Amino acid sequence: MELRVRIGERTETVTVEPLGDERFVVHVGEQSLEVDARSIGGFDSLIVDGRQYELALSETARRPGASLLVVDDGRRTREIEVLEPLAYLAQEAGAGAAGAGVAVVRAYMPGRVVEVLAAEGTGVVAGQGVLVLEAMKMENEIQAESDGVVAKLFVETGQAVEGGDPLFEIVAAVAGAGVD
Amino acid sequence: MSRRFEKVLIANRGEIAVRVQRALRELDIASVAIYSEADREALHVRLADEAYCVGPPPSGSSYLQGERIVELASRIGVDAIHPGYGFLSENARFAERCEQAGIVFIGPSSRAISIMGSKIESRRLMREAGVPVVPGGIEPLADLEEARAASEEIGFPVMLKASAGGGGKGMRLVGSSADLEKAYRAATSEAQSSFGDASVYVEKYVERPRHVEIQVLGDQHGKVVSLGERECSLQRRHQKVVEEAPSPAVSADLRRRMGAAAVRAAEAVDYTSAGTVEFLVAAGGDSPAAGGDSRAGGAEFYFLEMNTRLQVEHPVTELVTGVDLVVAQIEIAQGERLDPGLEGLQPHGHAIEVRLYAEDPYHGFTPSPGRIRALRLPEGPGVRNDCGIEAGSEVTIHYDPMLAKLIVWGKDRPEALRRLRRALGELRVEGIRTTAPLYLGLLEDEDFLAGRLDIGMLDRKLAAGGLRRSPGEDEARRETVSIVGAALAHAKARRRAAQRAAGPLAARRRWRRAGRQESVRGEG
Repeated sequence: MELRVRIGERTETVTVEPLGDERFVVHVGEQSLEVDARSIGGFDSLIVDGRQYELALSETARRPGASLLVVDDGRRTREIEVLEPLAYLAQEAGAGAAGAGVAVVRAYMPGRVVEVLAAEGTGVVAGQGVLVLEAMKMENEIQAESDGVVAKLFVETGQAVEGGDPLFEIVAAVAGAGVD
Repeated sequence: MSRRFEKVLIANRGEIAVRVQRALRELDIASVAIYSEADREALHVRLADEAYCVGPPPSGSSYLQGERIVELASRIGVDAIHPGYGFLSENARFAERCEQAGIVFIGPSSRAISIMGSKIESRRLMREAGVPVVPGGIEPLADLEEARAASEEIGFPVMLKASAGGGGKGMRLVGSSADLEKAYRAATSEAQSSFGDASVYVEKYVERPRHVEIQVLGDQHGKVVSLGERECSLQRRHQKVVEEAPSPAVSADLRRRMGAAAVRAAEAVDYTSAGTVEFLVAAGGDSPAAGGDSRAGGAEFYFLEMNTRLQVEHPVTELVTGVDLVVAQIEIAQGERLDPGLEGLQPHGHAIEVRLYAEDPYHGFTPSPGRIRALRLPEGPGVRNDCGIEAGSEVTIHYDPMLAKLIVWGKDRPEALRRLRRALGELRVEGIRTTAPLYLGLLEDEDFLAGRLDIGMLDRKLAAGGLRRSPGEDEARRETVSIVGAALAHAKARRRAAQRAAGPLAARRRWRRAGRQESVRGEG
């Protein structure tokens, strides 16, 4: 199956061809890599062209046909999204229909909304707090990741949320659109 | 009146419960663990000699149930209770209940806890004892108007602090009069929810200070000694993140003067056991004070508060002094005298601790609970792990997200820094995100490497988007390998899901779903 893998601005088409139980040829864009991949005690050990890499993965979200992973190779941590063809198409279509620059911010974990800082329809700048989520005894300010307008609030003060629940939707400011 | 303990209950969980168990084992004392329903499988339970469930997951219903814990301790014949840090460790009423029940509370007297627990009373007493304090009103503020009047008198910027507070909760920096109302409301509401007491006070905000604290030990025979300082300036929202000993900014002379002030502070409350006197050291560190010595107006260090318990960061002091602070606490509680050799002890080598939190440092430190599927702790020369988790542990949302501490020792600071980098490279956690990548980023920061620290530094660098490890020359290849790893992991999860869907269990599930759809209304 052809997977789409996203990391930052980079999107690659990736296919995995099994050669044996633990050996694969993985095509990443134009590159073909022979990989010996084994799961050892929960870690993923990869040997690629004689170089050894050990990855620790944590999954931050999974939807049918898609996973969002944080991959730590012992040097750096990278956020990677893996999409199957249908999920990729759905995502592209969704973005097209809603217009680019619409971002739904979701709760990272279960918690409780203790305060709403920006009401629906408020203009916000990147880094501005939209609401405060209490989780693990700490109050965390959830901020807008871009300049724009709080188009929709899915929660209210006092509401308990589960990890992955939508909190609010930001429509990005368009240059010249006169958003204050 | 020396008395040997046979059995000690640890009224805590996680890494500190494990730490205390180790000391008890070495002294041949039986250890009793308590646990909440969420912690039945936790490491501290499985390492104990005895273990008792004290209630449901929320700490208010379990680890904070002082009365229930004292009753349990009496019933099972415990000689003493070690409270660890947090939870009941600075609860004077709990210490008093232990005293009444004839159980030794391993810590200071309830009187010392209660005086030092009141920021107002402790500051008054410190002034009397000649320990320099930060200018400010020490009375709780009645309302916003009083807060405004007090702040204007001291002059902005000021700091609002919860009277019953600690750990950065109920604390707000106020830059100007315009910000006061919002900050006052936030501080009082956080103080109410965290400590059940909304009262706050205001003090002068010392700009870009260091947080340096002195470890003291006091015995029951009136002897108090200083074991030197810890540098704890690297904090995120007033929560310590990295600590080291000695401080790169403290000379032998400043150490002696701060140590003497800390001993005076402890003596003022007849302090027994291990305690920590926290000071703000004004920017410029060890430069001569502008207006005279530390007891005059131009003080270069100011008393902040005294923590009447073992600190999270106690291991860095242990590594540079060779003193086991938990063993010392137990021996003091048994009535033993302090070793006279502790007087005037100078630090040997350099130790650094980083706290491992279950938080994502690159998404606003959002908590990352979940199952730890695999764990590799670093080993080798100069490395110590104080760890409350293992592979298979579940990190729940009920408790503090600090999982473990990695502590390294080197003959000097550069060697300790090299070891820290090496050890962090070995550390691997699979299943949840931790703050470890942040420390690898920090180890590339010039200010940190040079020891130029202040308590706002970490927040400033984080806000500026810094402290990510820079890409190496092999970044492109490593990124591609991470893509391959992610794609393989996804493919594997998908295969497993497909196998489950095709298995006999799936057939049963389909029958069940059909049954549900009959009885309820249709579902997808």
